[in-house]
Amino acid sequence: MHRRLFLALPAALAVAGRAQAATDTASAAAFVKKLLGDVLGLVDAAPPDLLAKVQALVDAHVDVGGIASFCVGRYWRTATPAQQAQYQELFRKVLMKNVLGRIGEYKGTTFEMGPAAAKDSAISVITQLTRPNNAPNRVEWLVADAPGPKVIDLIAEGTSLRLTQRSDYTSFIGQHGGTLQGLINALIAQAAG
Amino acid sequence: MPPRSRAFRIAGALLFAATLAGCATPPPADDPDAVADYKATNDPLEPTNRVIFAINDGVDTVFLKPFALVYRNAVPDPVQRGAHNFLANLGSPVILANDILQGKPHRAGDTVARFAINTTVGLAGVMDVAKDAGFPRHDADFGQTLALWGVGGGPYLFLPVFGPSNPRDGVGMLGDMAFDPLTYLPGTGDIGNAKLAKTGLAALDARASVLYELDKVKSTALDPYATIRSLARQYRQKQIDDAAAAH
Repeated sequence: MHRRLFLALPAALAVAGRAQAATDTASAAAFVKKLLGDVLGLVDAAPPDLLAKVQALVDAHVDVGGIASFCVGRYWRTATPAQQAQYQELFRKVLMKNVLGRIGEYKGTTFEMGPAAAKDSAISVITQLTRPNNAPNRVEWLVADAPGPKVIDLIAEGTSLRLTQRSDYTSFIGQHGGTLQGLINALIAQAAG
Repeated sequence: MPPRSRAFRIAGALLFAATLAGCATPPPADDPDAVADYKATNDPLEPTNRVIFAINDGVDTVFLKPFALVYRNAVPDPVQRGAHNFLANLGSPVILANDILQGKPHRAGDTVARFAINTTVGLAGVMDVAKDAGFPRHDADFGQTLALWGVGGGPYLFLPVFGPSNPRDGVGMLGDMAFDPLTYLPGTGDIGNAKLAKTGLAALDARASVLYELDKVKSTALDPYATIRSLARQYRQKQIDDAAAAH
């Protein structure tokens, strides 16, 4: 695990490192509280343009491009700029598709804020989400200055979204030609399907 | 019982085939990025693991998942919760042994109180009343204990039936069997049948609890094997971190 984190660190720095002055813990916590409150408020209100509104929140407050490059690890550097751009756009589409497909499950969810602390080059903000008729879930948000506060990872009950996604994508690439193109082809199918 | 011995023979043949599939080829040493990835993945038996993963998946699709679906959908929720609590209560001795070995007196106290309260007031463990009385549930197993003693996990292993593991946690499972008083009850007659029923119920309970999540992983992941490997390891690390932080 430590080795894994050690490997993850340079990429995390690349994502967060554009602005050296990290967001402070208090403003990171306020940022998460506002974002989470806005998203859950939207889900509860369920306006007709819910999906577009959630998409706008994600675009504004989540570092989708940074997460995308993190998720392909070393294959990012060996890709052509055109492949990188195409992949980032596909990543965004598939992410949105997954987020929007499941967001209805969070209707009625309440949350509590936990502690915030510096973690590597980002700020970790702990929240506890309780869905109706479910046990509370501990969700950790990693917020980095990219620039301005942006979410760079969600860690639900100890499992990191971007680390898991990275395992999936890098393993898939390794078995499909060893370049980003293999992943791009698969994501085109996923985005369309 | 001929059918069973045939099943064992088939399982044995499959395992043998899986072993022949052998080890992953390490990347060339002049590609440091690839070598670093290979080490971080720490899955030298990947080809074998993938074969066992595929077999488990096939067996699950045919034998376990359909029953778990019926269990999930047809059995009333309170009954499922009761069964889950009952099984968890039966596991108390193993948890207590590990709480003690981990040097966690507070957790050991919780486990004793939980067992005493839930076995009596909680009607043989069917209701988790201890949780509301301030004794929250936690897990503890011997693999976790070994980790707290400083034993590293070692390479990834995908075990037949049991799924994601590693050498340390595999040894841990054997240790937990030794800690479990039920292991020492006879395996035949009424008691043997009851033990068999308990094992079956535990399999249903465990499988039903991840129906939705596993379907999601299998439908959205491009490489479900790698995704499950990552999820299992991260979740395991969280359990170990939680135990390390407890008192």
